[in-house]
Formats: sequence, structure tokens, C-alpha cells
Amino acid sequence: MLRRIVERFLVSLGVIVGAVTLIFLVLNWLPGDSATLIAGEDASAETIQHLREKLGTDRSLSDQYRAYLKGVLHGDLGTSYATREPVVQRLAAQLPATLELTFSACTLAILLGVGLGVLSVLHRGRWLDQAIQSLSLFLVSMPAFWLGILLILLFSVRLGWLPVIGNGGFLPLVLPVTTLGLVLSVPLQRMVRDGMLEGLHEPYVTTLRAKGLGERRIFYVHVLRNALTSTVTLLGVLIGESLSNAVIIETLFARQGIGRTTVEAIGQKDLPVVQGAILISSVAYVVVNLLVDISYTLIDPRTRLFIPKGTR
Amino acid sequence: MRAPPALPPTQRPPKMRIESLACLTLSLSLALAACSKHSGEAAAAQVTGAVAGQPKAGGELVFAFDGASITRFDLDPHQSIFAPHNRVFRSIFDSLVVLQPGHSFGPWLAKSWEISADGLVYTFHLRDGVKFHDGTRFDAAAVKFNLDRIKDPKNALYALSDIGPYASSKVIDELTVRVELSQPFAPFLANLSKSSLGIISPAALQKYGEQIGFHPVGTGPFKFKSLTPGTEIALERNPDYHWGPAGVAHEGPAWLERLTFKNVPEEATRVAVLENGQAGAVDLIPPQNLVQLRSSTKFHVVERELLNHNYSLYLNAVREPWKDARVREAFRLSLDIDTAVKTIYLGTAARAWSPLSPSLLGYDKSLEGSWHPDPTRAARTLDELGWKPGPDGIRVKDGKRLTVSFLDTQGNREKRLDLITIFRRQLHDSGFELKIDTESYGSYMEKAGAGDFDLVAGSLFAPDPDVLRRIYATDGRTQLAVFKGGDAELDALLVSAAKTLEPEQRVKWYAQAQRLIVDKTYSIPAYVLVYSVAAANGVQGISIDVHGFPNFTDTWLK
Repeated sequence: MLRRIVERFLVSLGVIVGAVTLIFLVLNWLPGDSATLIAGEDASAETIQHLREKLGTDRSLSDQYRAYLKGVLHGDLGTSYATREPVVQRLAAQLPATLELTFSACTLAILLGVGLGVLSVLHRGRWLDQAIQSLSLFLVSMPAFWLGILLILLFSVRLGWLPVIGNGGFLPLVLPVTTLGLVLSVPLQRMVRDGMLEGLHEPYVTTLRAKGLGERRIFYVHVLRNALTSTVTLLGVLIGESLSNAVIIETLFARQGIGRTTVEAIGQKDLPVVQGAILISSVAYVVVNLLVDISYTLIDPRTRLFIPKGTR
Repeated sequence: MRAPPALPPTQRPPKMRIESLACLTLSLSLALAACSKHSGEAAAAQVTGAVAGQPKAGGELVFAFDGASITRFDLDPHQSIFAPHNRVFRSIFDSLVVLQPGHSFGPWLAKSWEISADGLVYTFHLRDGVKFHDGTRFDAAAVKFNLDRIKDPKNALYALSDIGPYASSKVIDELTVRVELSQPFAPFLANLSKSSLGIISPAALQKYGEQIGFHPVGTGPFKFKSLTPGTEIALERNPDYHWGPAGVAHEGPAWLERLTFKNVPEEATRVAVLENGQAGAVDLIPPQNLVQLRSSTKFHVVERELLNHNYSLYLNAVREPWKDARVREAFRLSLDIDTAVKTIYLGTAARAWSPLSPSLLGYDKSLEGSWHPDPTRAARTLDELGWKPGPDGIRVKDGKRLTVSFLDTQGNREKRLDLITIFRRQLHDSGFELKIDTESYGSYMEKAGAGDFDLVAGSLFAPDPDVLRRIYATDGRTQLAVFKGGDAELDALLVSAAKTLEPEQRVKWYAQAQRLIVDKTYSIPAYVLVYSVAAANGVQGISIDVHGFPNFTDTWLK
């Protein structure tokens, strides 16, 4: 077990280093020179050359890469080309808002996804199931920004219940979290529903019934738990989804966030910031997937049986 | 104009301030609203908000502005040509002089000035008793410090191109500074009035160095309090302020206790926060909402034309098919700009006739109504030149299709892509095929720099017609300028006009230059930008300065 975790950890580390290296190369290969972009359309060749020297982009690619890796090992992610601010400081300013949004939206998505999925299986074929299916079809066909605008119009402008923008506090968080949570809940809800419907026809259910187990217990303890195994895998993907939707939510609700910072930095070829952001998201992604792997053992006893001695 | 301000007898006419800037589109690969302004009536209807009652001090105004999806709040005026941030600078920083209507200049931090006969030496007599927000004194040494900072190429500041041939400054006495240029530079005073040449506290510059953008210290009506990167800039009243520029509505400090700028990049969200009261005022209102807000009883709208090189289509005249001026003309004749602008902007923006916006010095009014769409003539010209309609309606010559690639990076900000889409349909009728090549900002800059495009479009904010030189002159333009051709006659006009201090002579040359640009179809002006602010009726006295930037010194809350 321990060996396996160490192994996974090393692989994760490789994934992170790989992601950072890849993004370093891709960004350098992209057209556009950082110094020229930062100097602006009106800058002279002299100004641009000064900037290049200052940023260190006149050095060879391998020199830049070595310097960058060395910095990362010392906890220094470099300095933003565009704002001359330490990258750590720049991203740290945006990170709390992102964490707040991602964490709350994922929680909401899980509650809604699992809740509605179970509900729709319990009422399968009846009007409630159909209503839930229609709702999920509606949500899945709705771009996040459009859903957000509709929610703003209804709850902020028409009813005046909720603020549209604002930092900190619970109320300004309600609309962005609802928008993102609703969008993210759809795949979960479908996964739970399909998984459970499939599970209900499995032979082990017949066996359980034959053993005289109550329907309720079969449903919640066995079938739901089985369906959750595949749903949990989806959680890892959910983090990615939520990060990629973040730009839209952050823009629409005028929020801070890593998403906007990254998109902006890519446009400007502000390499240190992009690399820093990728580093943070890849760490988040890897950690969540590691947790997902570990959680299998809790949900699915079979994996517990296999891991300790059997395979290794 | 709405009801004129009911000002106390001692007050002067509405205050006007100036600034200008080139709107660098830091736009993103997403089609999110990017940097700048919306459009409205050309001859801006209203400069100052509806004022009713006696102004009173106190309170906080939340101003939701279109700061694009930009999270970088770098409040160094010398280092930003980003329009939304310059809207903030005007509240923190003052300039030496203020631009007044009709291209005249009024005193601000400089009480008066003399210009030597050869136009090389400017002697500024500074206002006494002006203090920076950090308590240090504003004096001749501060002016020299600021100009020298910009001049130093090592600092690589955007404002460098604004000071042109600036050579050096001499401190004559505490309140007199002599600024020397290496050659005459007509736009100098106009550029000095820009927010990008706002005066920063030398003590703060020394203390914060390159981090000055996060600790801005000026002499303006509001002091910087705090910023939340990407979303909020909080300012508070400067209680010592009594050195507003010529034309202020009231002496003394601003009425507002606090002024909070909130970056709300999405236009629908801006309208929503105005309507639900989270913001007292918002800027850059989309046309459909502008029409509705103008007639609202709960809100009022303040608008003013920006001094600007109008949003124009630039034809890459050094490339086929544009090398032949007749093809360029046929292209222009195929466009019905009037209809396109009316359809997209619903009457909130006027179509443009000249590259310059109507309120700029030297605007050539005689160009108005002087050129019209004429698809029949366009077709005839193209026929004569051997461009024959192919099976799908697109013209072909020697096996080559009449395809024009439009390079773009800004997406649909200010509904510009909607406009291009209408143009595309009109062009198709004449047999042109317009392809839209949307690129990330980096690729856009590279392609634009290398001249790898047939057509680009953009606008450039400036308080002086010298903006033409920055775009069209072979010498004056930067390597990334969108105009790639070279025209000796145009060069001579623009370079001479930049060196002449004689306004009448400049106006004459600029008129010739504008006509030449239109006649030879180097660019095709599309619409006139109007900056708009909508405010709740509880917010009074928001004004827009001569250059088209909002001013909050006279703003108060009912």
C-alpha cells in the first residue's frame, strides 16, 4: 500500500514537471515576443531591446529553463513580465477567490448531482424523473455565461434578492456558485442515474433480494455505492471543468481569479505568470486525483482487497 | 444637453479635463469586452450629468467600469496606455496643463508658461502650495524628475513617445522649470495634458521604484487607498485639494468622501449592477441599453466624443490586391458605412467621414458627405481591371480570387465584429471575399508587425492630430504601426505639421493629409466613438473632460 502511494506520488511529480516543461516550450514556440507585447504598439526598437535585457528573454532557451527550474525549487516562481510583481504574490492575490468558487461550486455540484440522480432513479419513468432529465438537458445545452446572465436578471435585477458583484462574504458568492454548480452537476447527475439504473439489473441485486435484504438497503448501501465508484472518477475531471469555466464566471461576476489572470498572461506571453498558474492547477489536479484514487478504497471494498498483497 | 447644472453663483462653467491615450488592446483570445469605449452620438449631447439641487459633501460612489478581463492593475500613469486605467489616473494625478475646447490650454499645475520663438524652450511657472498625497511638495524638481524618468530609455515607459524630442529640464528656481526640446514639437502641450503625463511624487518613485504602480502617489483630487487586483480600486478624498484645472466647477476638495472603481468587464453585468443599485454609475453602456437609459426617469446618461483617430479599416497598400489604388477605391465604394453604423449602433454612434474625430484640432469638415457608396462604379472598375465575377460571385483574375484577409484580435468589443460582418455582406455583393483571421494578441502583434494581413482595423486615442504622424508617417510611426505604405507627400505634410507651432498652418496641412488619406484609400474611417456614463439620479455632477474621460471632482450624492 505504502509503496503504491509512493509510486503514485512520484508519477504525480512527473506529471507536474512535465506540465511545466511542456508549457514552457509551447509558450516559447508561440508567435510573439514578450518584450514587444509588453512594450506596446507605440514602443521604439530601443525600448524593446532594453525590456528584453531586463526580462532576461534575450538569453538562450536552455538558460531560461534552467533558471526557472532553479527558482521553482527555491520556491521562487519568478517575476511577472507585465507587472514586475513576484508571481507568487500575484497569484496568491487571486487564489483565495478561485478556491472559494471552485470548492463551493464543486460541493454544490456533488450535492445536486448525486441528489437529483438518486431522486430521478427513485422516480424513474415518472414525471419527476422526466422533469429532472429535462432540467439537465436544459443546463447542458446552456452556456455558463448565458445561464449566469439569466440568473442575474432574475435574482438581482427583477427580484433584487442577491448582489451581482462583490468580494468576500456569502451573498456575492451565491450567484456565481449557483451558475457554476448547476453546470457542473449535470454530468454527475447523469452518471449517478445511469450507474444506478444499470446496477439495479445486475445479478448481485437479485442475489441480495434472494437473501431477503430490504429494497431500501439494497438501493442505498449497494447500488448507490457501486454507482459512486465511477462517479468519483468524474470528480477529478470536475476540477478541470471548473477551472476552465472559471474565466467565464470570473468575468461575468467581476470576480478575482486565477482563470482571468492566466488568460491575460497567455495573451501577453507573461511566461512566469502562466507557468505559475499551470503549476498551481496541475498540483491541484494531481492532488484531487490522488485523493480520488485513495477514496476508491473506501467506497469499493474490492480495491481494498487487491491492493495490499495480491498484485505486488 | 439636458438641464444645465444649477451651480452656485461663484462657480465657473463645468470643469473639463483632458487626457488621451492610445488604446492598446490587451484583449484576450476570448471574445470578451476588451479595453475601451462605447460609441454614441458624434457631437456628444451631454458633457455634465443632470444636476439638481445644492451639492453636498460626503458618501461613497461605486463606479463600475469596463476594465476588460484584465487583472493587472498597474497604476503607473507613465506606463499605461490602457484606456480603462487612464480613467482612474485622472482622479489620482494632475497634469501641468489642461486641454480646453478648441485646442487651447489652461493652467493646472503650471500657472503659466512661455514658449521660446524657436519652439525649443518651454518655461513653466508652477503653482505654489501644491502637495503630493504623501505630504511632499510639488515643485520644479518634481517636474524635472518626472520628465527625466520618462526620457530614460532604460525605464522603457510608454509615455516616452508622448514627450517626443524632449532633451532636458533645468530647475530655475523652486517654482520655475525650463524644459528644452531638441526640435520643435507642436503636440507637446497637448501631450502634457494627457493623464499618461500625470505628475508622480518623486519621493514615492524613489521609495517604491518599479512597484510604483501599486502605490500611486499624485496630487489629484483623490488619494489612493487600496486595490484588489482585477476587481477594485479604492480612492478617498484628498482634503487638501484646491488646485483643480482651469474650468473646474468648484474650488476645493472633491465632494465625495470615497470613490471606488469596480472592474465589471461584462456589459450585461454593468447594466445589472446599475439597475440593482450596487453601482451608482457605470460606463460604456451597450447601444440597446443606452437608448433605454436615456429615456429612463431613474437614471441619466452623460456622453462625450473621444478625441481619437476614429475606428478605421487599414488597407495594406503594399500588398496585392491593394497595390493598385483603384482596387482600394472599389473596396471603399462597396461599403455602405451609413447603413452599417446605423444598424449596429442604433443611432448611438455617428458614422465617420475623416480619420480624425470631429472635435480634434484640424478636423476637415469638408470631408463630410464628400464620399459615398457606389457599388455600380466599384463593379465597373473591377471589371476594367480584369477582376471578373466567378461562379460563386467572388471575382477572379488570373486564377486568383479577390480574397481579403481581415486580421483581428479584439473580438466583438464595441460591436466591431458585428460591423465587419455587415461590411462582409456588402463586399460580397461587389465580388470581394472577406475572411476574418482572429488571432491571439501575440500572433496578432507578430502578423501586424510583419505586415502579414490585407486589412486591419483599430482606433487610437490622442489629443492632437499628430496621431496621424504616429500612424501614417514612414518616419514617425512605430514598427508595429498598422499602416505599411509610404507616401512622400503625406510624410512631408505630417512631419512639417508636427514641427510647426502655427495652428492655422497645421490645420491646413492636416486638412490636406486627411483628404489624401481618404482619396488614396489608405484607411476607411468607420464610426465616431463616444464615451458614455450612466448614473442613478442620486448621483449628480459626473462630467467628462475634453478628451473624453470621466471626472469625479464635482460629483456628489443626493
